[in-house]
Amino acid sequence: MGIESAAQAAAPLRDALREFLTAMADDELLLGHRDSEWTGHAPILEEDIAFSNLAQDEMGHALTWYTLAAARELGAPDPDRAAFFRNAGEFRNATLVELPKGDWAFTIVRRYLFDASEQVRYAALAESAYRPIADAVAKLRREETYHLLHSRGWVQRLGDATEESHHRMQAALDVAWPHALGLFEPTEGESTLVAADIKPPENTLREQWLAQVKPILEAATLVVPDAAQMAGGGRSGQHTQHLADLLNEMQKVARMEPEATW
Amino acid sequence: MSDTQWPVYEVFHQSKRGEPHIHVGSVHAPDPDMALMLARDQFARRLECVSLWVVRADHITATSYEDVEVWFQPATDKSYREAAGFRMADMIRKLEAERGH
Repeated sequence: MGIESAAQAAAPLRDALREFLTAMADDELLLGHRDSEWTGHAPILEEDIAFSNLAQDEMGHALTWYTLAAARELGAPDPDRAAFFRNAGEFRNATLVELPKGDWAFTIVRRYLFDASEQVRYAALAESAYRPIADAVAKLRREETYHLLHSRGWVQRLGDATEESHHRMQAALDVAWPHALGLFEPTEGESTLVAADIKPPENTLREQWLAQVKPILEAATLVVPDAAQMAGGGRSGQHTQHLADLLNEMQKVARMEPEATW
Repeated sequence: MSDTQWPVYEVFHQSKRGEPHIHVGSVHAPDPDMALMLARDQFARRLECVSLWVVRADHITATSYEDVEVWFQPATDKSYREAAGFRMADMIRKLEAERGH
């Protein structure tokens, strides 16, 4: 039987749902923020606009997940407070999305690894027994499918375009890979969610993701690093210094005047 | 300075099935598939859209502005050939009146 709303969820399930929804929201928010850093700086005008679009899409997705987490019974702060008034240790994002934007190769590689993970994750969540998640995913999947087309298209082209592009893409993959594996670090209370058919185990998603990204990366002549080297910690609030730096910039204006309305 | 840009693709946008594809602008792209994706982001995100075409600009054969007179400007008055000479609206109204509309 499905769970129609947070009110129907038992207490341990509520905590696990809040953790999981917050993790998804934080991933989207921070990647969206990193993407937005290209606005005005992307290597070509068309990609400048495309990345600004992606950033807006991710902000929208973040809002969706923050809103679900802020259901009264789940008890997360409302979306604005979640984004602008939590400290680094309260964020549940994978470290992948907090790393600085780097060069264009890193930006593309990170996006591709993330977009592929979203595709796998959303496909599974479309079957979620928690109705609000299944309903939200039905809408978000369309945009994520396009995101994946876009980033995969660039991986396929840049992987073996020139010696320099290949070299940069490989270097980017080597840096991003362990952090991308961290996308599949379970959130606290995962077993409760799995038992309630709300989501499959992260391990399952990780295997599906590996099966999808490996052939694409290899076809782009890139060497896929070891799947055992995960840079985790993000899902329990352990982050790199980059997150604190990012939050300092992203939250500065909101914190200057906390009671301001926008 | 040499041009380091990718080729230009002209973008045609269709808002509804059966409507014509209308030229809306152009994008730089390395190949047709990427041109479609970039065109989607530049031109189809806010407009209603069911189909996009992209065509490499240098694959279009066009007349030259220098030849405007030769191609498009009649030497003598042929206004008698223009459809504006017909008073269609009046005719239609008259026919409708006869049929009792």
